[in-house]
Amino acid sequence: MNYKKTLKFYVALWIAKLSSFALKILKRNATYFPGKVALSICPDFMGRLDKPKTIIGVTGTNGKTTTCNMINDILSQNGFDFINNKYGSNIDGGIATTLISGSTITGKAKKDLAVLEIDERSANKVYPYLTPTYLICTNLFRDSLMRNAHTEFIASILNKYIPKETIMIENADDIICSHVAEGNKKIYFGIDRLETDTEDCKNITRDIRVCPKCLSPIKYEYVRYHHIGKAYCPNCDYKCPDPDYHVTKLDLKNMQMTVKFKDEEEVYDLVNDNIINIYNMLAVIIVLKQLKLTQKQINDSFAKLKIVETRYSEENYKDYKIVTQLAKGMNPIACSIAFNYTKNEKGNKAVIIILDDLHEDAKGMENTSWHYDTDYEFLNDESIKQIIIAGPRYLDSYIRCLMADIPEEKLIHKKDLIEATSELKLDGIDKVFILHDLYSIEETKQIKQKVKEIIDKYTVEQK
Amino acid sequence: MKIEILYPEFCNINSDMGNIKYLKKCLPEAEFIETSINDVPAFIEEEISLVYMGTLSESAQEIVIQRLKPYKEKIEGAIEKNQLFLFTGNSVEVLGKYIEDENRKIEALGIFDVYAKRDMLHRHNSYFLGKYEDIEILGFKSQFTMLYGDNSNGYFATVDLGIGINENSKLEGIRKNNFIGTYIIGPILILNPLFTKKMLSLMGVKEPKLAFEKDVLESYEVKLKKFKTFTNFQM
Repeated sequence: MNYKKTLKFYVALWIAKLSSFALKILKRNATYFPGKVALSICPDFMGRLDKPKTIIGVTGTNGKTTTCNMINDILSQNGFDFINNKYGSNIDGGIATTLISGSTITGKAKKDLAVLEIDERSANKVYPYLTPTYLICTNLFRDSLMRNAHTEFIASILNKYIPKETIMIENADDIICSHVAEGNKKIYFGIDRLETDTEDCKNITRDIRVCPKCLSPIKYEYVRYHHIGKAYCPNCDYKCPDPDYHVTKLDLKNMQMTVKFKDEEEVYDLVNDNIINIYNMLAVIIVLKQLKLTQKQINDSFAKLKIVETRYSEENYKDYKIVTQLAKGMNPIACSIAFNYTKNEKGNKAVIIILDDLHEDAKGMENTSWHYDTDYEFLNDESIKQIIIAGPRYLDSYIRCLMADIPEEKLIHKKDLIEATSELKLDGIDKVFILHDLYSIEETKQIKQKVKEIIDKYTVEQK
Repeated sequence: MKIEILYPEFCNINSDMGNIKYLKKCLPEAEFIETSINDVPAFIEEEISLVYMGTLSESAQEIVIQRLKPYKEKIEGAIEKNQLFLFTGNSVEVLGKYIEDENRKIEALGIFDVYAKRDMLHRHNSYFLGKYEDIEILGFKSQFTMLYGDNSNGYFATVDLGIGINENSKLEGIRKNNFIGTYIIGPILILNPLFTKKMLSLMGVKEPKLAFEKDVLESYEVKLKKFKTFTNFQM
């Protein structure tokens, strides 16, 4: 649709710009409100605003923020001038705010490039007005059932609204994600079979179990996690596509991966060894290659990158390693991946879990159902010596741990975060994991401080 | 004792399998039969203590309707003979007259005199607090559909907080003999230990004991107290 700039559009633009200016003067966050105001005045505002020539979009259930952060950092380090919604919301209001900040007073785009994280649930409010040149879809899984309902629903709105001109960069190892926007030009990424892959799914949930075309049970050459792997229907042509870019060798010891495209192989340093971040890196490489960045440019930047501390951090403190890791509440897949990662880390571990609804608790309570799609069973491992559960949902997590057959004597459950953390026992422990929700960053810092105090005291006692 | 789970490959989208996981802990000796979409339901041919079906996607509803249609009379007969059923989330719609989806009308089994209306643009999320007989029931609802029709002669629970089968109803779910259908999603049996004991009794368990009974009861009491402070049922 050809949108023209109307008087209503200009009024919306100027009020949004004024509100942005005012918020900045007041030192308030101007990352959502200006766009929200513009959209309330002129609902098709984004369609009328001039956009950068190249738009990189990132969507999908898990990994959007990490992928965007990597793209943003690498582009910045290589001198690109662009707009992004790194500090803003990933729904329509936030995206409009980003575009407004990158536009002139007459609505012309100031930059030629944009990197936008786009919430998959907002597809109907974004894509009718904005055509990404490239759209990465990291994966599609069940997420908050209150917002996202189920993967079929999310895939259906993506299919309905993603513009036909957009080049999709999709995860070939995700049979749901790889079938989104069937008619579009696509670039697929994947990781070849790994030693850790299995014949059967070890997770509770798989978001696709039956072929949507012929209702035969989906089979796998190998399963990586949940429905990720090499899936196919034994009775029809429904299957995971072959990837264009694929990791042929994953060397976790030396933290490197070899990526093959056609007949060329390139080696990249890993930013992080979590499988989901390796997929994210692969998507980043592909989209940056479309912008003509070289292996050296990308890899030199990878060497400088770190996953942001709110997602993952590790610190050696005296004789212990303290790891903080995001285990996004109400997202059973993200939590299961975090649990599995914790289990697979070497050494003996104590785990502190605050997955719950600290923010929800103030106004009500979260829907606790998701705990039963989450693989607490991964925490039932010999190497995990103690599990401390805290926060408003401590009883729900405790019961779920019991249901996972985790011995009662390994479990501490208390509502108060610090009181619960005080029960940490360091005998025979090498690492302390703090698995926290997105909205518990401050609380995580307090817990980490308490862990350090316990380590200090224990170290003195041992001497 | 046999417990049948209908179509677990589809009917699992709202953590519904938590109910089965809990029943396995409560009834370690019981046999659990998973009936997949291409199988004949076991309760059609043999005695089953509980038939369970969980929430499913909209497209899966249509598939399940087609699969169950040949057994309509047998399902009606089983309900008349007091077969115990527990259908959670939108699975009860399969047994209604039809489902409206914009301009489409999807004919369902027509066992219950109710129909559903889908609104895929609006998801209803709410808390539920009500009473099944003398048992306080709590839970969560997340749905695109509402159910319409008169359930005053056969409902699962009265409503104290939240909605019944639709936004104007104060009667939740469908009940006929030992058929129980409720829009409460997820692990309702873990959230509601007193109701679970009642279900175990209906299944023929004498002096039912729950798995992790003390902890599950404590969690129930804490939630009950919290739910009673809510002034707004919408999440």
